[in-house]
Amino acid sequence: MLNMHNIRKSYRTDTVETHALRDFSLSVDEGEFVSVTGPSGSGKTTFLNIAGLLETPTGGEYHLDGQEVSGLSDRERSRLRNEKIGFIFQGFNLIPDLNLFDNIDVPLRYRGFDSKERKRRIEKSLEQVGLSARVKHLPAQLSGGQQQRVAIARALAGEPRFLLADEPTGNLDSLMARQVMELLELINQAGTTIVMVTHDPDLARRAHRNIQIVDGQVSDLRNTIGAEEAAVA
Amino acid sequence: MIGYYISLALRSLRGTPILSALMVAAIAVGVGASMTVLTLNYMMSQNALAHKNDVLYAVQLDSWDPNQTFNRGDGGNDIPLQLTYQDATALLRSDIPARQVAMHRYGFTVTLEDSEARPFTAETRVSTRDFFALFDVPFIYGGTWAEDADLSPEQLVVLSKATNDRLFGGADSVGQIVNLNGEPFTVVGVIDNWNPSPKIYDLNNNPFADSEELFIPFGLHRRFEMVSWGNTNGWSAGDNGYEGYEARLFGESVWIQYWVELNSAEQKSQYDEFLTGYIRQQKEQGRFPRPLKFALTPPSEWLVLNDVLEDDNRVLGWVSLAFLLVCVVNAIALLLAKFLRKAPEAGVRRALGASRHAIFMQHLIESMCIGVLGGLFGIVLALIGLSGIRALTLGIADRIASMDWLMMLAAIVLAILASLLAGIYPAWRISRTNPSVYLKSQ
Ligand SMILES: Nc1ncnc2c1ncn2[C@@H]1O[C@H](COP(=O)(O)OP(=O)(O)OP(=O)(O)O)[C@@H](O)[C@H]1O
Ligand SMILES: [Mg+2]
Repeated sequence: MLNMHNIRKSYRTDTVETHALRDFSLSVDEGEFVSVTGPSGSGKTTFLNIAGLLETPTGGEYHLDGQEVSGLSDRERSRLRNEKIGFIFQGFNLIPDLNLFDNIDVPLRYRGFDSKERKRRIEKSLEQVGLSARVKHLPAQLSGGQQQRVAIARALAGEPRFLLADEPTGNLDSLMARQVMELLELINQAGTTIVMVTHDPDLARRAHRNIQIVDGQVSDLRNTIGAEEAAVA
Repeated sequence: MIGYYISLALRSLRGTPILSALMVAAIAVGVGASMTVLTLNYMMSQNALAHKNDVLYAVQLDSWDPNQTFNRGDGGNDIPLQLTYQDATALLRSDIPARQVAMHRYGFTVTLEDSEARPFTAETRVSTRDFFALFDVPFIYGGTWAEDADLSPEQLVVLSKATNDRLFGGADSVGQIVNLNGEPFTVVGVIDNWNPSPKIYDLNNNPFADSEELFIPFGLHRRFEMVSWGNTNGWSAGDNGYEGYEARLFGESVWIQYWVELNSAEQKSQYDEFLTGYIRQQKEQGRFPRPLKFALTPPSEWLVLNDVLEDDNRVLGWVSLAFLLVCVVNAIALLLAKFLRKAPEAGVRRALGASRHAIFMQHLIESMCIGVLGGLFGIVLALIGLSGIRALTLGIADRIASMDWLMMLAAIVLAILASLLAGIYPAWRISRTNPSVYLKSQ
């Protein structure tokens, strides 16, 4: 499904060069639920952005669904992102002046569905996250947990094979966090591959597999949760 | 997708009403100012005879002073713009042109027998019979006079529609009698509304004046001792022994406008030869003291030659476009501020599958919407500007200081171009920004 080999990513500003990822190799299989942990600044978000084709790696190979994607044009990458990938962010990133319907509509517009199909999918995905009644609401009229569920609905509306979540519960209290986690588990059970960055060891443990990123590299794949707990403590 | 972008644009504009209003105002003011000037220039450069550009020619002969060139205006060619009476009558004898017209401006006092209508002075064109055919003047009733009337005095008249309305209530007046300076004239025709602006067939006086109210045959000069009521230029009284009115007719003053219709290159070269021969022959008789020179000028060049659109107007046109550019630069700054404030939204859209191109188009269309609105308000401002000019010029510029549909369309096109110019860089900037930067920051 996702196959990264020796991925490098460095950011160059005027004075310093930051190696956000180096010799980063990882495989994620179809249907897996992988949690990603690691200290702040270790490169977790960078990894997700590269995985989601939002950023291009400085070097290395990246196969998504068997396709080498490093050399693709922006248009092709955007199309792949639109069709195969759903993003969920810590900050929800709903568009504030669009109501729920129009927010979820965004990826479907770029997909080129007709209005009937878009409406069907929007209603279906809102139902999936239990917010059908709020379709005309603006994001600001919802709680944080509800907003994140809308963001999940938006990510799901395009029926992506692959869901990338960057600290999806980071801004939520533990109850709401658990609800969101349960929702993600349901989605995973329905067949969607999920990679989730989190700082919460309990949530990380609920995934099929946990990987830890330290200093831009995947560190030891076993006992990583213990290490994370040690780091947090 | 365009529809989606437009709806996003309108929503975005409504979201920041004050900023949007400022941007629309920037475009509107620029478009309004430049369209005011450009409309004037456009109306001044109209060529009512454009469709006859390759067959009609204004005739000029250099019969001027040996000691100095005839010079008028910047676009001039150093040849008098009109002919002497003697040259005009001589040229009329040529049968090379398909049609030809010798004419000048005059005026008559009009009265009607047994009528309550008050006498009035009517602008009159004294012309040979081909005037109407040559300049495509449409008739409602009757037609032009017969050829004889151009050679010997026959008191015939063609009325303008307005004059016929005034005198005969718009009825068919062919055969009726009208008194001009107390003499009876028989009406032979009534023309329909016809008012080329600029008045290309005679640009000597106000090029934006109305066309004449009466038209009478060229054969009546001696009968009424007519001279031009328009522009007359002279350099020598002539010494051909004539006295009185005849001396004025046969002097070297130029006051006759002369046009020919030459339908083929062959006809034209024949006519060139004819004019060359004529000038040579006149030189033998002691006239045409300057080097042999004449010109046949088609209507579009005639407008330039007569300096109808003065250089000042041209410069003003460029200045107004420069002003529009300043407005565009302002709009760029405002758009950039607005778009960058919305960068996080663009980041989200990128994450959800929008390509850079899609983001670029979305923002470009937003600036085009501003352009369309700016164009509409710009038209309103230009209409206000033009009505101001009409008020200031007390009617002289009424016909040129008005916008036609084409100019309104031009205003919209100009506004859209301006907004595209303003929008391209901000839209490009926003489409190039790295989405991940904005996705993190929330
Ligand atoms: N656009 C950028 N320009 C320059 N440096 C960057 C950029 N994005 C990330 N970095 C750097 O790359 C490194 C990895 O950043 P990244 O955001 O991937 O960390 P992270 O693991 O997601 O951290 P956190 O847990 O705090 O979210 C950091 O040192 C960061 O400063
Ligand atoms: Mg991060």
